[in-house]
Amino acid sequence: MISFNSVSYSFSKEIGVKDVSFEINHDEFAFLIGPTGSGKTTIMRLIYLDLIPDEGFVTVCGISSNKIKKRKIPMVRRKIGMVFQDYNLLSDRNIFENVALPLHMTGVRRDEVRERVMRMLNELDLEEKEKKKPFELSGGEQQRVCIARALVKEPEVILADEPTGNLDPIAAHDLVKLLEDVNIEGTAVFMVSHNYNLIKNRGHRILEIQMGEIQNQ
Amino acid sequence: MIDKISFLFIEGFRNLWRHKLTASTSIFSVFLTLFLIGILIIVGQNSHYPIEYFRSKYKIEVFFNNNTLDGQEKIIIEEIRGFPEVRSVTLITKKDAVRIFRDQFGEDVVKMLGYNPLPGSAVVNINKGGFEKVNLDPLIKKIQALNGVDVVRYQGRLISRLENFYQMMINLLKISSGVILLISIVVISNTIKLTIYTRRELIKTLQLLGATKLFIKVPFILEGIFQSIIGASLAFFAILGLIKASNYYLTQLISLRIQGDLYFGIGLFIISSFIGFIGSYRAVSKFL
Repeated sequence: MISFNSVSYSFSKEIGVKDVSFEINHDEFAFLIGPTGSGKTTIMRLIYLDLIPDEGFVTVCGISSNKIKKRKIPMVRRKIGMVFQDYNLLSDRNIFENVALPLHMTGVRRDEVRERVMRMLNELDLEEKEKKKPFELSGGEQQRVCIARALVKEPEVILADEPTGNLDPIAAHDLVKLLEDVNIEGTAVFMVSHNYNLIKNRGHRILEIQMGEIQNQ
Repeated sequence: MIDKISFLFIEGFRNLWRHKLTASTSIFSVFLTLFLIGILIIVGQNSHYPIEYFRSKYKIEVFFNNNTLDGQEKIIIEEIRGFPEVRSVTLITKKDAVRIFRDQFGEDVVKMLGYNPLPGSAVVNINKGGFEKVNLDPLIKKIQALNGVDVVRYQGRLISRLENFYQMMINLLKISSGVILLISIVVISNTIKLTIYTRRELIKTLQLLGATKLFIKVPFILEGIFQSIIGASLAFFAILGLIKASNYYLTQLISLRIQGDLYFGIGLFIISSFIGFIGSYRAVSKFL
């Protein structure tokens, strides 16, 4: 599903990643853990092709970073469900419109959009929030909307970049549980966190990154 | 595909409502600049009326030789009438001259002198000429060259000054219109750019969700065009109102009426749509 092959990327003023190699399988749940500035977000950006490696290559959903044309990058991103720490919900649209957005991008019919979005909101207990704006929701609810938006397009993999960073411990635990349920349904999940207590003893693989290098797989 | 297109179109329109404040700022700036451009267009379109009024007062007086017969005068008149610069010619025969003299001075010159010393003459009015500069010298030379013409009198210096002043005004109008149009393009496109700049995070999120460049651009471009069209509509109706009000007061003072034709309105909408398109396209492209 995701494969890093001797990938290096450097920023002009800070460390990126150095000679990183790992693989995430199609039904796997894996965590990436490391301190602030260790290169976790760089790994994520390399996966959704926001950054292209200086050396080596990344393969995502069968598409390699060294072969892809720039205009084809959106097609790869449509196969990935993104969950962000700060939710990245569009504040000028209501919850329904936020969740429906990825479906409109792919040209799904209007009646099907309604059906799929409502089903997703029901599954995540958000059906009553349909017409609310993101700022009217709690942090946990906003993160669930973010997950609904990621799942509605039926992605092959969920990338979660510190999704629990702004949540209280109970909401954070619920969120990881939700992602585990998603994984059980067959979607690969790759989650970045710096909260070891949250992810330990869950039976999932934990990749550790320090100063841009994978220390432990 | 139809669903996608209709979604993008509706998004462009909805964004106006979602971002009422920034949209209204943008619409207001479009309105102000197009109002100014519109006023200049109207002034340009109507600038020939004052000069035509003056030109209708330009008078060339042609005096015939004293021994010219009435029949010859009519032939000369027809020749003058044939010149393309001439609008009308009025013949003043020797008899008419005596009558005019009597009306003005209360004396019968024929009784006083025993003969008629006054020559026959003609008053020539020229064509109004539109925006082009009127130069009377070639016409005067042609009239003077006619057989039987003695003297030609006209307000040469005054006409030349008026025509030069009018040409200067026209050139000034053209230059200022060009400058204002350029400034307008910059102001409007920058305002639209600013409204897009405030939503750069939205563009980034859309990119991460897998939106293509076209999917991101289209609603912004449509929004820019809608803003411009609304601004242009407001400017159009404001100028129309101004023309009506001006005509209402002008007709009470002089016989001049300000005209505003359909092309002016169409021009305003084309300019605004073009500026809206360019402004939003350039702005959104900057973040992609």
